[in-house]
Amino acid sequence: MSGLVLELRPPESQHYVSWRERLETVARYSDPDEVHALCEKAYSLGARAVLTVFDHTIREALAAYQRWRDIEVWAVVPNMFAFIRDLTDRGLVGAARARFMRLTPSQMMRTGFRAMLDLGGIRRQDLAVGTMLVCEMEFAALRGLRVTRLFLHPQVTEIALAGGAADVFMAVAAMAERLGIGAGLVTHNPLRAVEVLGSDLRRFARVVTPCNSKGYKMFPNRDLCETLFRSDPARFIAAEVTAGGTLEPEAALAHTRALGLAGAMLDFRTAEAAFRGRTIPRLWP
Amino acid sequence: MSDSRPLRAAVIGAGRMGMIHGHLLSIYPETEVVGFVDLNTRLSDHLASQGLRAPLYPTVEALFSAATPAAVFVCTPTHTHLPVIRECLARRVHLFVEKPLATTRTDAEAILRLATEAQVVHAAGYVYAHLPIVQAAHDLLKRGALGDLLRFTAHAYVSEVFGPKRGWFFQREQAGGGVVANMASHLLFILGWFFGPIRRAIASTRSHASTIDDSAQALLTFASGVTGLLDTSWSMPGAQMLDYGLTIEGRQGTLVLCRDRILLHLLSPAGGYDAGWSQIHASDLPADTAFDVSPHIGGEAFYRQLHSFVEACRTGTLPFCSLEEACNTQRMIDAIYTSAASGAPVEVA
Repeated sequence: MSGLVLELRPPESQHYVSWRERLETVARYSDPDEVHALCEKAYSLGARAVLTVFDHTIREALAAYQRWRDIEVWAVVPNMFAFIRDLTDRGLVGAARARFMRLTPSQMMRTGFRAMLDLGGIRRQDLAVGTMLVCEMEFAALRGLRVTRLFLHPQVTEIALAGGAADVFMAVAAMAERLGIGAGLVTHNPLRAVEVLGSDLRRFARVVTPCNSKGYKMFPNRDLCETLFRSDPARFIAAEVTAGGTLEPEAALAHTRALGLAGAMLDFRTAEAAFRGRTIPRLWP
Repeated sequence: MSDSRPLRAAVIGAGRMGMIHGHLLSIYPETEVVGFVDLNTRLSDHLASQGLRAPLYPTVEALFSAATPAAVFVCTPTHTHLPVIRECLARRVHLFVEKPLATTRTDAEAILRLATEAQVVHAAGYVYAHLPIVQAAHDLLKRGALGDLLRFTAHAYVSEVFGPKRGWFFQREQAGGGVVANMASHLLFILGWFFGPIRRAIASTRSHASTIDDSAQALLTFASGVTGLLDTSWSMPGAQMLDYGLTIEGRQGTLVLCRDRILLHLLSPAGGYDAGWSQIHASDLPADTAFDVSPHIGGEAFYRQLHSFVEACRTGTLPFCSLEEACNTQRMIDAIYTSAASGAPVEVA
């Protein structure tokens, strides 16, 4: 059972109702103390894990938070938006170099050795090889954090699912096994994930995917997604539970629980509102 | 035309957008990718590693020698669109062109002329117009919910350029401009679709980080009489993805278009909504997408864009995002740059 999971992402990579809301939120969560406080609010609502794409602020906040709360960190790597920006600014070599330089000397040695083994794949710009190299460098830079699960960033996940590139996912699962942690998927296309991965989906103990009573972001449709969830409920964790904030959290989570899912994601808005309102003492009993 | 066979399509240009279109064409049930074209033929391994296993050809000519696509998706750098399209249309294939259509209005109009003369279906890749919430806003306006349309304010911001940038995308001659041509054009397309042909522009642009326009302000007047202000910058902190917003005022109400919702204020009931405030959220709209290729950027709009093009090819009709509409966008881009350069208003013929 995973229960509630706080969903963190760099605030710059989220959507907002207005530009003003964006600036206020981005400015606020640029302070690690605010991220730390959000984690504590989510904890008080029952969240015992944080799924996150990392930036410097989130990494610093979670490192401090894990010192006094026993909370799982589920890492989503690589931060694709930052990586794409780096690709544009510095080129492929420059983007890779920037990540390499964040490593400790021993991590540099390990990464360099692994890259030597995959030189052919690097030359061919093989998606699985390139993705894993960046994933490993970004993961290595998370030193000081106790990460218990590894997820591939959805921007790569959906592309690899579209192309049926199962080897990308097998590489993620292998990396997680090597690190002694669990592997997971974050996707808007869970049925396609089943189609591409088949029985290998079992290597991903948690699949985070939209689930709500409005069918919002449930592709190809709610009925097919829910049929899939019912077939293996303990594997799935509901995202978009409030359908973009249009459903009350308590009712939204009741829907998820009724399906028997392993847990539900709590985005920052829902966590803040539930904590402020105190309408729901503990969102996930 | 009631052909039930998959639409055979080729992707010209195997960069980031070419790959996204390749994936969509692979996953969409009624299309088939028959080939890619890119000068860099070493990309074939990279494409294959993503599951894109259609052959990669070095030239358009090589593609057509080996395959018979019924449609092409042109995703090459903007300055190459006209020659590539000219070569493709010699074979009379349906045409999808990534935005912006061209680096100049003259080239854009030449592309439209070629496509019209070839009597093919054509569309441009202004993907945000395919978001269900944007289409819902369009429907409300067309149904007259706001009464006569009067004015608008709009913004398009992203955190992209904070210093010198490399690559064709940041070269005026190759990309056709900066933030106006390549980011704000998404919103300009929507404005043109909502308000009709552009008639007049007064604009200023600034290059404060790169060598091309990094920000712009434009006062636009449409033939319908609607006037409004667009503010855009790709040097605004806080937005990793394009953040846009549009507020439209009419005689009977106001519509605020946000990323995932519409805030509507009506003076009297209209369009199925009561007087006063209403909110329409994307989750309230019918869902018709089978695959989300890019949850955070574009989302289901990519799939819907392809669906709209395929349907147009099947029925032989032009979609709303045709090159005619894209030419209106190009006229706006051109007028903004011309006005900014001269410091004077520009009348658009």
